[in-house]
Amino acid sequence: METLLQVLLDGMLNGMLYALVAVGLCLIWGVMDVINFAHGEYLMIAMYVSYWLGFLLKVDPLISLIAGGIFIFILGAMTYWLIIRYTIGKPPLSALLATFGLAMLLKNLCLNQFSPNFRILSGTWLGDKTFQLGFLIVPVPQLVTAIVALVIVGLIYGMTKSTRFGWAVQATALDKEAAELMGINTERIYFLIFGIGGATVGIAGGLMPTYLAVHPEVGTMFSLIAFVCVAMGGFGSIPGALVAALLIGIVEALSGFYIAPVFKYVAVFGLYLALVFLRPKGIFGW
Amino acid sequence: MVHYKSLIKPWLLVVAALCALSGVVPSPALAQEKVIKIGTIFPLTGPVALAGQRCKAAVETAVEILNNKYPNIKVPLADKKGFLDGYKFVLVHADSQGKADVGKAEAERLINQEGVWGLIGAYNSSVSMPASFVAERAKKIFMCGASSSAALTQRNMKFFFRTASTDEIESHEFVEVLKWLNKTQKNANIKTLGLIYENSVFGKHAAEEAKKAAAAGGFEVITDVPFTPGATNLDSEVQTMKSKNPDALFGAVLGADYALMVKTMKKMNWNPKVSLNYCSGYQDPVIAKQLGPDANFFMGSTGYSPQFSKMMPAVAEVEKIFKTKTGGVPYDSDSIQESVAMFVLAQAIEKARSLDPETVAKTLYANTWTSPLSLSGKVAFAPGGQNKLSLSIITQLQGGEYKRIFPKESADSKAVFPITAWDKR
Amino acid sequence: MNHRALKRKDLFWLALVVLLALMPAVSAVATNTFLMHVLILILLFSAMAQTWNIIGGYGGQTSFGHSVFFGIGAYGAGMAVVTYGLSPWPGIGIGMVAAAAVAVLISYPCFKLSGHYFAIATFAIVEIFHRMFLVWYWVGGALGLDYPVVEQGLKNFMWYDTKTGYYYGALALFVLVFGIVRFLESHRFGYYLRAVREGQETAESLGVNSQAIKLTAMALSAALAAMCGAFFGQYNLRVDPSMVMSLDMSMKFVLVTILGGAGTLAGPLLGAAVLIPLQEYTRALWGGLGGGVDLIVFGVLIIIIVIKQPAGISGMVRDIAKHIERRRAAAKGGTSIDAP
Repeated sequence: METLLQVLLDGMLNGMLYALVAVGLCLIWGVMDVINFAHGEYLMIAMYVSYWLGFLLKVDPLISLIAGGIFIFILGAMTYWLIIRYTIGKPPLSALLATFGLAMLLKNLCLNQFSPNFRILSGTWLGDKTFQLGFLIVPVPQLVTAIVALVIVGLIYGMTKSTRFGWAVQATALDKEAAELMGINTERIYFLIFGIGGATVGIAGGLMPTYLAVHPEVGTMFSLIAFVCVAMGGFGSIPGALVAALLIGIVEALSGFYIAPVFKYVAVFGLYLALVFLRPKGIFGW
Repeated sequence: MVHYKSLIKPWLLVVAALCALSGVVPSPALAQEKVIKIGTIFPLTGPVALAGQRCKAAVETAVEILNNKYPNIKVPLADKKGFLDGYKFVLVHADSQGKADVGKAEAERLINQEGVWGLIGAYNSSVSMPASFVAERAKKIFMCGASSSAALTQRNMKFFFRTASTDEIESHEFVEVLKWLNKTQKNANIKTLGLIYENSVFGKHAAEEAKKAAAAGGFEVITDVPFTPGATNLDSEVQTMKSKNPDALFGAVLGADYALMVKTMKKMNWNPKVSLNYCSGYQDPVIAKQLGPDANFFMGSTGYSPQFSKMMPAVAEVEKIFKTKTGGVPYDSDSIQESVAMFVLAQAIEKARSLDPETVAKTLYANTWTSPLSLSGKVAFAPGGQNKLSLSIITQLQGGEYKRIFPKESADSKAVFPITAWDKR
Repeated sequence: MNHRALKRKDLFWLALVVLLALMPAVSAVATNTFLMHVLILILLFSAMAQTWNIIGGYGGQTSFGHSVFFGIGAYGAGMAVVTYGLSPWPGIGIGMVAAAAVAVLISYPCFKLSGHYFAIATFAIVEIFHRMFLVWYWVGGALGLDYPVVEQGLKNFMWYDTKTGYYYGALALFVLVFGIVRFLESHRFGYYLRAVREGQETAESLGVNSQAIKLTAMALSAALAAMCGAFFGQYNLRVDPSMVMSLDMSMKFVLVTILGGAGTLAGPLLGAAVLIPLQEYTRALWGGLGGGVDLIVFGVLIIIIVIKQPAGISGMVRDIAKHIERRRAAAKGGTSIDAP
C-alpha cells in the first residue's frame, strides 16, 4: 500500500512535467495544425540555457527558467518566421519535414558546440531536496515543477478562453479565412502562438537541469511522450493534454513497477491506442 | 503561376556539385611520404557520441606519439619519428552514428574508396560485428578497443584483435568481489543480487554474463531490470529494486543514465550493500565531478583511472596530449584501450618488418607486446583475437577518487562496506 | 490524360530501368563500391518510399508505422538464416505474409481514426513493436541477429566480395514495386484509392467500400515494405530492433516520399535520388570531422528544399517540364499551354 502510493505520487509528478512539456505542442498543433518535430530540441536547448546560466553565472534554474522561456519564445517565433510560414497552405506534412530537418540541425549544432558530454548542475536551491510526508518521500524539485506546470497550463488555458487575444487565437484555429475577414491578423497570431508554445517548453527546460543531466539527446523521449499526450487529450484541448499527461505519468509508473520497467513505455503507447479506439477524438476532443 | 526565375537556385547547384563530387571524394595526396592509412569508425554523433569522440581522441593521441618524436614518453616507438624506418600513420575518420548499417557502409567506404590499410573501432559491439566482418573479407586488420561483447572474439577471425576485456571476465571478477566481501567483512552476508542494465547489446550481454557468473558463484539473482536508454526517468526501475532490496547490485548503465540512476536512488533513499558497475557510466572520468559526493561508494571495474598513475607511470605524459583533444577530460578504461590498440599495432608492424596484413596479423598473435598503458603492462592475443592479458581492478569511488580495493595485491584502500546510507552522508 | 502521353511516360520508365540495369557494366561504376552502395540505397529507399506512397500518398493515410512491416520482413529473412540456418527466401515469404497480416490487424481499428489521431496511433504502434522486439527472446531481443558466413549467391541472397548481386536485387525490388504502383495507378483500384483520399463520404456514396480499399492498400504496402526490410537485413548482415524497427526508419519512408512528392509515381524515386546521395556524401565528406557537421548540413538542406519547393522535388521537375513545353510551344509560334 505504501509503495503503491509512492509509485502513484512519482507518476503524478512526472505526469505534470509531461504536461508542461506538452502544453506548448498542444497549442501549436491545435491552432496551426503543424506537427513540430523540433519540440524535444526546444526542450534540450532550454536546458542548455539554464545549465550555462547556472554554471557560468551561478543563476539558479528557478530564475533562469524565465530566461529559458524567453529564449525559446524567440526561437519558436523565429522558427515560424523563417520556416513554418513558407509551408502553410502547401502539401500536408511539409511542415513536419521542415521541422524534422530543424530538429536534426539543432541537435547536432548543440553536439558540435557543447560536445556530447552530459552535464549536471549541482548546488541548486532545490537540488536533491526531499521531505517526508508520512511514509511518502516527496522530491522537492519535481514538486516545484508540478506546481509551475499547473500555473503555466492554467495561464495558457485562461489566455485562450478569456482574453481578446485568446478569442482571436480560437477564431484562427477554427477557420483561418473567416478570421482574416474579421480583421484578425492571423500571421501575427501564428507568430505569437509559436513563440508562446516555445516559451512553455522553454520554462520546462529551464527547470529541468535541477534533476536531469543535460545532453544533446535529452529531448527525444520527452517529445515522443508529448506527441502522445496531445493526441490523447484531443488535439488543441489544453485540459485534455493535462489530463492525458497525468494519466500517462501514472500508467508509466504503475506498469513500470507492477509489470516490468521495460514495459512502461509500451503501456503508455498502448494506453493511447486503447483510448482512441474508445474515443476516436481523444479524451476532450469532439 | 510558376516563377521561372526561381527554378535554378544556388542551392540546386550545391546539390549538383555535391553529387558531382561523388566520383572524386577527396583523399589527401599522400604519395610523397611513407604512410599507413588507418580508418577509424566511431559513433561520433547519436546517443553514445560521448564515448565515440573520446575513443577517436585516444586513437589520435596514439598516432601523434607514434608519428613524432617524444623522448620523454616511455612507450615503445615513442622516442623516434615514425616506425618501420620512418613510416607514419594517417587517420581517416568516419562516423557510425552508433548504427550497424552506417558503420558497415563506412567500413566499406574506408577500405575501398579511401584505401585504408587497416581499421580501428567501433565502440558499439553491434557496429563492430558487421564492420569487422567487412574488414575480414577484405583481409584488413581490424583493431577493436572497447567493444565488450564476448561474441566478437568467438568468430575465429584472422584479422580481428580486441584489447579490452569482455563482460565475461568482469562478471567473474564481480562475483569474486562478493565472495571476498562475505569472507572479510563482518556480517556481510551477501546472498542476493540485482541487475540493472540498459536494454541494448551492451547491457544485455553484460546481464547474461552476470547471471552465468552469479549462478556459478552461488548467488541468487532476484531482480533483473533492463531499461530503455535515454529514459525520461528511472523511477519505476529504482522503485522495483528498492522493493526487492537485493544485497548487491550489478549495473551496466551508461553516461547520463548512470547519473540519473544515482540521483533516483538518492531521491528514493535506497542503496544496496554493494554496487558494482561494468565499464560504463561509473568509470566515466566526469562522473565524480558531475555527481559530486553522490557518486561515492559505488564500485566498479576499472582498466584505467588517473589515480592509477603510480602503477602506470608512462600514462601521465600520454594523457597530457589526450587532454588537449578532449578539453581536459582524462582517459577512461574504454578510450585508453583504443590507444593501446594503436600502440600494439605499430609495434607489430615494426616487428613484422612488413606491411602485409597477414604477416602483421601472425606477428600480432605470435608475440607478447609491451603496453605501458595496460594495467597488466602487457598485451597478447588468444585465437579469435581476444587480449588474454587484459586486466581490470575493482575500484570504489571515495572522496571523488577511484580507490583500488580488489584484488588485494593491487589494493591501496579499504573498501567502505556497506555503502553509506544517503541520509548519513 | 490521353493514350499517347501514357505510352511516352512508360517508355521513359522502361528506358530508365534499362539504363540502370546496364550501370554495373560500366567498370568505373562497378569498381567504385561506394557509388554502388549509394545506387543500391537509392533503389532500396525509392522502393521503400513507393510502398509508403501506396497508402500514404495515393491513399492519404499518413502512416508512421511502416518500419514495423519493414522490420517484420527483415526479421523473417534474418531468422530463417540466423536462427534456422535456412535460405532467406522462405523467411522473406513468411515475413511478407506476416507483415500483411499485422498491417490488416492494426489498421482495422486504426482506420476509424482520422488525420493526426491515425498518424499518432501508427507512431505508438512502432514504439510498442520496437520495445517488444527488444525483449522478445525468440527473435534475438536486444542482441539482434548477426548473419553467419554462408555460401554466396542468389540462393542465400548473399554476396561478400562484389555488390553487383545486391544491385540487381535492389533493381528487381525497385522494378517490382514501381511496376505494381504503375499498374495500380491506371487501374480501377488506384482510382478508388484516390477517391477515398479526396473524400471518404463521397467515395462511399458512389459505392466504393472505403474500408476494404484502404485495408487492401495497407496490406499490399506492408508486404512490399517487408520485402524491402528483408533486403536491408541481407545487405547489412545484421538485424536488430533499433536498426529496422525504429521510428527513425519509419520517418525515412515518410521523408523520402514527401520530399519527392507524395501521391505521384516518380516522387519516391526523386526523393530518394536527392536525399540518399545527400545523406551519404555529406557523411563521407564531413562525418569524420566528428561534430555532426554532416547532419547539420543535411538538416539545413532539408529545410531549404522544403521552403523553396514545398510541392516536393516532383513539383519542381513538373515546373521545369512545363517551362520547357512552353518554350517549345512559343518557339513553334503556337499558343502557350495554360497551366491547369
